[in-house]
Amino acid sequence: MGVVIREVIVLNAGVVTVRFDGVTKRFGRQRVLAGVGGEVRPGHLLVVAGPNGSGKSTLLNILAGLLRPSYGEVRYLDGDVPLPRDDWYPRLGMAAPDMAPYEELSALANLRLFARLRGCYNGDGPLGTLLEELGLAAAHHDRLIAAFSSGMRQRVKLAQATLHLPEVLLLDEPSANLDADGHLRLGTLVERLKPTTAIAVATNDPREIAWGDAKIELAG
Amino acid sequence: MRRSSLLAESLAIVCKELASELRQRVALSAIGLFAITTLIAVAYQIGPYSLAENDRPFLLSALLWIILFFASMAGLARVFVKEEDAHTAKTLRLAARPHAVLLGKLVFNLLLLLALEVVVVPLYCGLMGLRIEGVLGLVLVMLAGGATLSISATFVAALIARASGSNTLFPILALPLLLPLLVAAIAGTRAAVGSPELGAVLPALRAISSLGGVTMVTALLLFPVVWRD
Repeated sequence: MGVVIREVIVLNAGVVTVRFDGVTKRFGRQRVLAGVGGEVRPGHLLVVAGPNGSGKSTLLNILAGLLRPSYGEVRYLDGDVPLPRDDWYPRLGMAAPDMAPYEELSALANLRLFARLRGCYNGDGPLGTLLEELGLAAAHHDRLIAAFSSGMRQRVKLAQATLHLPEVLLLDEPSANLDADGHLRLGTLVERLKPTTAIAVATNDPREIAWGDAKIELAG
Repeated sequence: MRRSSLLAESLAIVCKELASELRQRVALSAIGLFAITTLIAVAYQIGPYSLAENDRPFLLSALLWIILFFASMAGLARVFVKEEDAHTAKTLRLAARPHAVLLGKLVFNLLLLLALEVVVVPLYCGLMGLRIEGVLGLVLVMLAGGATLSISATFVAALIARASGSNTLFPILALPLLLPLLVAAIAGTRAAVGSPELGAVLPALRAISSLGGVTMVTALLLFPVVWRD
C-alpha cells in the first residue's frame, strides 16, 4: 500500500493544478464575482465565459494572484503540495488586453527582456521561431512595437506569455484583434501546450469556447 | 521551473530602461532642459561677482542643490508611473521579482542623476566662479547625495504609481524624505567648498548615508507589498 501511495505522489509531482473555491470579489458595494469555484489542470482546459462586466478578467486576475479575492481562496498545487504565492509567478504565463508590450522596443527586444527576466534566454533563435510560429514574419522582428497593428501586438503578447513554457497559462480574450490565420496559429499553440500546461481562457468567442473541457458561465 | 538570479533580473531591467530612454529621451529631455535653463538663469542674474565673499559658499551650495533637486525631480518621478500609463506594469509584475524591479529602476535613476551631476556641477562652478577647496570631499558628497536622492525618488515614485493624481502626490510624499537630505547635502557641499580637509565633509556624509540607508531598507521591506497588492 505504501508503495502505491509513493508512486501516486511521484506521478503527480511537477504537475501544477490551480484550485479555486468560493471566490467572491467586491469593488466597493459592487459585487463582481459570487462564490465561483473550479479547477485548472493540464490536459483539461477551462473556459470562462459570460457577458461584458460579468467578471471574467477579474477572475483571471485573481487566479494569477494579481488581485486578492474578497472571500474564497485560490491554491496552486504542485502535485498535492500547496505552493506559496511567491512561487506562482515564475510558473505563470498570462496575456490580457491590459498587458501591453513595450512600444519603444522591437518585438524581439521585448521577448529578449522577458526571457532574461524568466531565466530562459538561450539566444534570439528560439524567440524568433516562436514569433514565426505565431505568424509574425522575420521582417517584423526588429521593428518597434509602436509601428505594429493591434493584431501584430497581440501575437507578441501571446509569445511573451508562452516563451518560458509556463505550467499555468491564463489567456484573457486571446484572439482579440487576430485574423483567421492568427486564430488558427493560436489554436495550434494551445493544443501543443495543453497536455503539460494548466490553461484557462476567458472568452465569448465560440471558436475558443470549443477548446474547453470545462466551462464556467458567469452571470452578468 | 527556471528562475534567473536577482542580479540578472535587475540588470535586464536597467538595460530595458536605458534602451527605452535612449529611444524616447523623455527623462533626459526633462532633466536637461530644466537644468540648463535654471543654470543659465542663475548665472545671468547672480553671476560670479554679485554675492558677498562671506555668503558665497553657503548661497552657491544651496543654489547648486536646488538646481540638481528640481532638475532630477522632473525626470526621476515618472519611472513607475510610465509603466502604469503604458499598461506594461502588469506584465513586469508577473515576470520579475519586486526587488529586481526596485533595484533596476533605482540603478537607472542613479545613472541619470550621476550624468546630470557630471554635466551640471563643473558648468555651475565655471559659470559662478565657484572655487572648490576640497574636490574629493565634493565628489563624495555628490555621490552620496545622488545615491540617496535616487533611492528616495524611486521609492516615492513606486508609492504613488498606483494612485490616481500621482503627479500631485509626488512632492507631498517626497518632501519629508528629501528635505533632510537637501539640508545635509548643502552643508556638505559648503564644507567641501571651504576646506580641503576630508574631515570637514564627514558629518554631512554620515547624515546623508544614514538617510540613504534607512530609506533603502524601508524601500526593500515595503516595495513588494506596494508593487504586488
